[in-house]
Amino acid sequence: MNSVATPAPVVEHLPPAEPVGLTRRLALRGTVLALVIAVAGFAVPYLVPDKYTMGLLLDGIILALLALGIGFLARHLGLISLGHTAFFGGAAYALAIATQQWGWGMVPAAVFGFAVGTMLALLMGLLVVRASGMGFLMLTLALGQALYQLCVQTVARPYTGAYDGLQVANEGTFFGMGSATVMNAALFWPVVWVVLVVAALVLWWLGRARFGVVLEGIRENEERMRFSGYNTFRPRLYAFVVSGAVAALGGVLFALNAAYVSPDLLSFTKAGDSLIAAIVGGLGSLAGPVLGALVYIYAQATFNSSGNLHLYTGIALVLVLVFLPGGLTGGLGRLARRLRKKVRR
Amino acid sequence: MRNKVVPALAALVLGSTLAACGTPGSSSSGAAAETIKIAIIPPSSGALAQFGSDSAKGWQYAVDEVNAKGGIDGRKVELIKKDTDATSATTLRAAREAVTQDGAAFIGGVMTSTENGALNQQLAGLNALSFNSLGKDDALTGKDCTGNAFRTVQTNLMDVNALAASLKTLPGDKWAIQAVDYSTGHSAAAVFTQAAKAAGKQVVLEQYAPLNTTEFGSYISKLSSSDADALFAVEYGADGVAFVNQAAQFNLPAKFESVLGFNMVSEPLFPALGDKIVGFYNNVGYDIAANNALNTAFVQGYTQKFGSKPYYVVADAYLAAETLFAGIRKAGSADPAKVRDALNNLTFDSIAGQVTMRAGDHQLVRPSYLGQVVKDGSGLAFKIIASADGAQTTPQADPACKL
Amino acid sequence: MNFAQLLNGVAFGSLLMILSSGLAMIYGLRGVTNFAHGALYMAGAYLAYSVSTNFSFWLALIVAPLALAVLGAVLELVFFRRLEHRSHIEVGLVTFGIALVLERVIVLIWGERTLAVSAPGGLGGTTSVFGVAYPTYRLLIIAVAVVLAAALVWWLRGTRLGLHIRAASRDGETSAILGIDSDRVSLVVVCVGAALAGLAGALAAPYVSVDPGMGVSILINVLIVVVIGGAGSIAGAMIAGMALGIVQTLGAVLLPSLSVLVPYIALVAVLLWRPAGLAGKGVAR
Repeated sequence: MNSVATPAPVVEHLPPAEPVGLTRRLALRGTVLALVIAVAGFAVPYLVPDKYTMGLLLDGIILALLALGIGFLARHLGLISLGHTAFFGGAAYALAIATQQWGWGMVPAAVFGFAVGTMLALLMGLLVVRASGMGFLMLTLALGQALYQLCVQTVARPYTGAYDGLQVANEGTFFGMGSATVMNAALFWPVVWVVLVVAALVLWWLGRARFGVVLEGIRENEERMRFSGYNTFRPRLYAFVVSGAVAALGGVLFALNAAYVSPDLLSFTKAGDSLIAAIVGGLGSLAGPVLGALVYIYAQATFNSSGNLHLYTGIALVLVLVFLPGGLTGGLGRLARRLRKKVRR
Repeated sequence: MRNKVVPALAALVLGSTLAACGTPGSSSSGAAAETIKIAIIPPSSGALAQFGSDSAKGWQYAVDEVNAKGGIDGRKVELIKKDTDATSATTLRAAREAVTQDGAAFIGGVMTSTENGALNQQLAGLNALSFNSLGKDDALTGKDCTGNAFRTVQTNLMDVNALAASLKTLPGDKWAIQAVDYSTGHSAAAVFTQAAKAAGKQVVLEQYAPLNTTEFGSYISKLSSSDADALFAVEYGADGVAFVNQAAQFNLPAKFESVLGFNMVSEPLFPALGDKIVGFYNNVGYDIAANNALNTAFVQGYTQKFGSKPYYVVADAYLAAETLFAGIRKAGSADPAKVRDALNNLTFDSIAGQVTMRAGDHQLVRPSYLGQVVKDGSGLAFKIIASADGAQTTPQADPACKL
Repeated sequence: MNFAQLLNGVAFGSLLMILSSGLAMIYGLRGVTNFAHGALYMAGAYLAYSVSTNFSFWLALIVAPLALAVLGAVLELVFFRRLEHRSHIEVGLVTFGIALVLERVIVLIWGERTLAVSAPGGLGGTTSVFGVAYPTYRLLIIAVAVVLAAALVWWLRGTRLGLHIRAASRDGETSAILGIDSDRVSLVVVCVGAALAGLAGALAAPYVSVDPGMGVSILINVLIVVVIGGAGSIAGAMIAGMALGIVQTLGAVLLPSLSVLVPYIALVAVLLWRPAGLAGKGVAR
């Protein structure tokens, strides 16, 4: 093989990771910040004038949950996954099946959807976390696409509706919100925003805590970790499941809001797009994938009309990987540091 | 840390002061202006793009025609074109944009049954009506029907019933069925099998290929070795082209007395398929030679304007426009709720003859045809062999629809 | 008619074989999983469509691989060489982006419709093989694939350049020390790999239709074949390609609903049992 050095993970070109360690003060500060961001976010529906942009923003933060999961795995373990759409789509489908085929209410169906998504993450995780690098990528891709194929087979039609997809029968209330409210972007925004902030906070905690330190160690040198007495399989599995659970949250919220699930939620295209969104946003930071998801949704709305969306996402991916490693947040961070240096002088 | 808290707090304060500024969730005002706004959302990319642009042409022609005559009761009609890649998410977004930002009250041109199904859910919330001229899945006016959605194209069931009615006249007694492993494929095969029995024919082989199959060799080999003498094929789009071309390479059609396609052979595919399909039968939704004044004028005008004859996608789009305009005229208003009520059981003259918009399931009752591909001077065309009117193909509203 | 079905499997397997040998060569030497391979295949098919409708199919069989070899050279010089020191996943993702761009550009040029290419004159009918009437064109594909496989093996094992390629694939550092010009070898390999993809696309044009989705649909199959066959092992990829083609086709006959899952199950099974693939060196690194 024509490799001189051992292949480093995608995140090698980023600034050095912030010091790990979670003191009580740090944890408290993080929680307060999260609280402030959450409350500040509630203002967004009042600031945005029209329904259309509001819809875009909501789609963006729902996709952000999926991208956040992908980003967490890449950031802390250096693993690139093309299978997280299986958890997003799987959770969405589970919710749809529960409401449509079994007549459940929204809350039990949401819990069920989340459980199914997390369970899928556990099952896939058991199979894939021993691999790394390209093998991991191929396995997640294959398993994700296997789920897609299962979903569109005619034998699955009574459950999943095969290629036609499934309507979500929004009966009852979701924590006091009726179906019309849940499908309304501005009114559903607070729910999704809170979920996003909480998920980001949890991932941040995990990343800073001892768990994150162990993951970092595994990423740097797995053999050494094992020789040091750490079980490397379990932390990787937990990390995978947690990232999958976050994606599943996104799937559940998506299904409630869109009230319709179709197989393209599980497709190769969607897997590629969500990965590109995370990469372009920046895998090195927690907020990177969120930004990437918002940018992607905006690009999709602007460019889909000409059919050229994938032309631009392809170009964006190549440019970011070649010239701007660390994505947009990485680039912005470098810019900010450079400006700060200039200001200090 | 402190650097981040201050701006966040500022945003919080700003947000709360602005909280008084308005309620979220209120739609931008779409006060009924004098213009009637119709949004069409055809696919502009992907395999269906061709059909999408032709559907847009049909709508545009209808709108231009009515505007040239001074509009509907003096109101001008405006066509707003949106694009989609035929996935539900994009189409829904485009629909929301059209209704909330552009003020459209009517939606058309949505292609696949999947998109139409997803759109149906949102229509009540958007306060818009949709006119489906392309999605033929039975469920859209069946269990997935909704008050604000109207379908002007025939359902798959109507078309298959029309084929079934003429089955006796088609040569061949032992039929093989090659269908796509999709809802259309299965329901068409089921209806066909029933009709075959009623016509005294046999079904000796039934096989399904997954959607997006490109390699039909194994299916063709099985068909070759069966003892069927006629073929009912339900493969459409790229699958249909691959199937027909590969079947020709295996010299399969020579084995059969009849090859009956369902949604398989259509005018836009004639160039890709070529002469090998001469003699194939297929369902035809639109009779270009229908002998009524409206149709003759339409065909003439369209051919003159675009240089090519209209085919079913164009004609169905035009017919959808005719339906909408008839509803607006009857209601005397462009308010969606009033138009919706006016359309119930409305009978009017159209390019497909006299048609009725049935109230029970919002399905337009119109005839369906069986055609055969023939070579006419300038290329290939359909010759209508048999027709079945709406009362025959869809005697009653779909009981699964609860409107 | 099981023999005809077997021939169907062999025909499809032949196509996979040609494609996967190209991908395996690139992977073996550069360590890059070329996600753009499906797009290269698609480009070959569309080029073949244009050339064969305006000139002849046989000319297309020459033009498409040559044009794709040029495209391969661009890939090598502009991307692979510059990104040599990046991780393999990053380069793989770059090829993924290139694939998206290339596929869209192809559609922008040729349109969204499904196009048909007719088999060259004389090969449009059927030939009797062991009593079964089988399309002559598919027999051509099988013949071409067999000849190509033999030629490839002879080239790699019997010529000096082939020796250099094998050496550089096994150990880039040592072969550079021994004086093998790794840049030149890389260029040759990527060009040949891309040309093979173009040839496969040209051959596929009359076989399956030429449509905008063809790149994506074949990509997953080819990736799975290369991984199963063993990273870097060209012989392994070829055997795995033929095997998968036969298994999938026969599976479609016997168990239609499950046959689509065969490649995925095979991939998962192989990667879990032998992470190095059936014949090769490590994939899971």
